[in-house]
Amino acid sequence: MDSQMNELYGNNGPKQVHFSPYAFNGGTVLAVAGEDFAVVASDTRLSEGFSIHSRDTPKTYKLSDKTVLGSCGFHGDVLTLTKVIGARLKMFEHSHNKKMSTSSIAAMLSTMLYYKRFFPYYVYNIIGGIDDEGKGCVYSFDPVGSYEREAYRAGGSASSMLQPLLDNQIGFKNQEGATVVPLSKEKAVALVKDVFISAAERDIYTGDAIIVQVVTKDGVKTEQFPLRKD
Amino acid sequence: MAMKGKDCVAIAADRRFGVQAQTVSMDFDKIFEMGPHLYIGLPGLATDVQTVSQRLNFRLKMYELRENRKIKPKTFMSMVSNLLYERRFGPYFVEPVIAGLDPKTFQPFIASMDLIGCPMITDDFVVSGTCSEQMYGMCESLWEPNLEPEDLFETISQALMNAFDRDAVSGWGAVVYIIEKDKVTKRLLKTRMD
Repeated sequence: MDSQMNELYGNNGPKQVHFSPYAFNGGTVLAVAGEDFAVVASDTRLSEGFSIHSRDTPKTYKLSDKTVLGSCGFHGDVLTLTKVIGARLKMFEHSHNKKMSTSSIAAMLSTMLYYKRFFPYYVYNIIGGIDDEGKGCVYSFDPVGSYEREAYRAGGSASSMLQPLLDNQIGFKNQEGATVVPLSKEKAVALVKDVFISAAERDIYTGDAIIVQVVTKDGVKTEQFPLRKD
Repeated sequence: MAMKGKDCVAIAADRRFGVQAQTVSMDFDKIFEMGPHLYIGLPGLATDVQTVSQRLNFRLKMYELRENRKIKPKTFMSMVSNLLYERRFGPYFVEPVIAGLDPKTFQPFIASMDLIGCPMITDDFVVSGTCSEQMYGMCESLWEPNLEPEDLFETISQALMNAFDRDAVSGWGAVVYIIEKDKVTKRLLKTRMD
């Protein structure tokens, strides 16, 4: 607004033009690993600043029958990264005649991200899937490829709002004397819905709808739920 | 943070006093009693926490001498707002949270403010501090209206503890005050000391 005022009133001093190769498109992704399943969910809003580009852009991508990737951050890099991962998966399948396992995909993604260490993909990735032993697994990444296997992780703009609740309800943190029950699929999906509803209340970049992908040994099932549109 | 319940309010805070990464003390209380049913939480720069609470106490005592009655929470909020706005262009680096019951009707009241005194009254909860996003996430999911004092205690404790466990510069102990019509209960929580 100041620059507009200056242009009007002629106080034009030297200006430095800034081109940033990145933009922040918002969005939140979340993954939870159960005993024999994994749940990967994301919202579907694509925004920039205070504007909404689209209300129907899911941020989860099915990589194989046993693996789903959730990515958010700068959507341009998200699209490129998923394209390149898809290509690498196909190449692996053609040369080795078998599908890549979830842990291999995670390791590959880590090296792919680190190759661009000095001009990173501005993407927060979370992989959810079934590992070689049939158990649910979640791998979370930072933009340059540091990764770790965990039981649950929230990433993206509302991650700081969601992560403590997951600690409390799935990790049973700060609950003395609570019996640790293994997480059922229905409870996991219900919890994911609840946390996204809470996130949509307080985070402007999260909203419109949730896409939930449940990964089991029988494949990937998708469900969609509406969220606040404001 | 502060939360409203059924005829009661709760206010809670962590107890860390640090300088960026270095923790200096683990018993730095940020919640001050301003009246029998009126409490203010002052997170932020420690020197301003002390100065604001002392100056506020002075103004409150003068009010009580002049008016010969206990101050209402809403009026107290305006008093804090005025004190902070006087320093509009060189502010105190505190973002207060107020919780209390009306001295006559015992109606619950919670409010928060930014560092230059913009007041915000809510019906559910208020949060303030370095891990405010985490606290918003926890409160939004855990709070429900008309909680009894015991349930309100559990809710606010879980919300606070899990939120500051995800923030490197908050934690190291917690204190919770449950303010009811006839009593105020102060409890120290057992938390991760890291």
